[in-house]
Amino acid sequence: MTTHTSTLSEYRHKLATNRLGLWLFILSDTFVFGGLYVSRFYLLGTTQRPDVNQLLGFVVTSVLLVSSYFMNRAESAMANGDRKNFLRGTLATLILGIIFLVGVVGVEWQIAPFGPGDGAAASLFYTMTGFHAFHVLTGVIFLSVVYRNGRKGHYSPERHWAVEACAVYWHFVDVVWIFFYPALYLIGLPPV
Amino acid sequence: MDEKMMEDRKQEAFRIGTAVIILLAVLTIGEYWLGSIASVWWAPLLGIAILKAFFVVRDYMHLPRLFASEEEAQE
Repeated sequence: MTTHTSTLSEYRHKLATNRLGLWLFILSDTFVFGGLYVSRFYLLGTTQRPDVNQLLGFVVTSVLLVSSYFMNRAESAMANGDRKNFLRGTLATLILGIIFLVGVVGVEWQIAPFGPGDGAAASLFYTMTGFHAFHVLTGVIFLSVVYRNGRKGHYSPERHWAVEACAVYWHFVDVVWIFFYPALYLIGLPPV
Repeated sequence: MDEKMMEDRKQEAFRIGTAVIILLAVLTIGEYWLGSIASVWWAPLLGIAILKAFFVVRDYMHLPRLFASEEEAQE
């Protein structure tokens, strides 16, 4: 019992350090996304935007937001010992993440009337969406690992740092898109 | 922690999660509508984005956990 208590106390201490590390990583990544975000306004101002499909932008944004809802549900379920809802939520997040990727890379990139080589603004559009999509892909891989481990019976209400880290990372990717969506799809008019 | 307490905590977390997604949905629809009718109004669109990000960071990413004590953060 003493050993268990001391181990749990060590785990909690490590958890605090892990959390700090993850947030520092997120902060550093924010600067990269922030640079891309500022570049968009430098190149196009607030009166112009890339010639993209607004409805598709709305759909992929909704998909990502709903995925965050399921991720939060999955994490809360694991933190309170509900493995069934944890697995369901993780799987739903994973599927929605893949749908988002297909929407942006598989559809938007194909129907956009410009390519990455058509000037700085066009190139920036592909950099912003591509860099973000790469983060989504990383999140999907992370989710697959967490889902697989969860199915094997790993994690408990006391010890589920991987689930929490995966959730925080996923929500971060969502927050980035919350800013990218109006910048790429809503603010300004497409070129005539 | 007993099962009843965990169940209550889970239900509370689910309730907050649902309230946040409803709020995000309303804001996103408003954002889309605003972008379609007045796309040069960048300030309100940026304001909506900040508001949405605030709720995600606070309620989904649980930023306050970072500043909690080790015991509180576990709860």
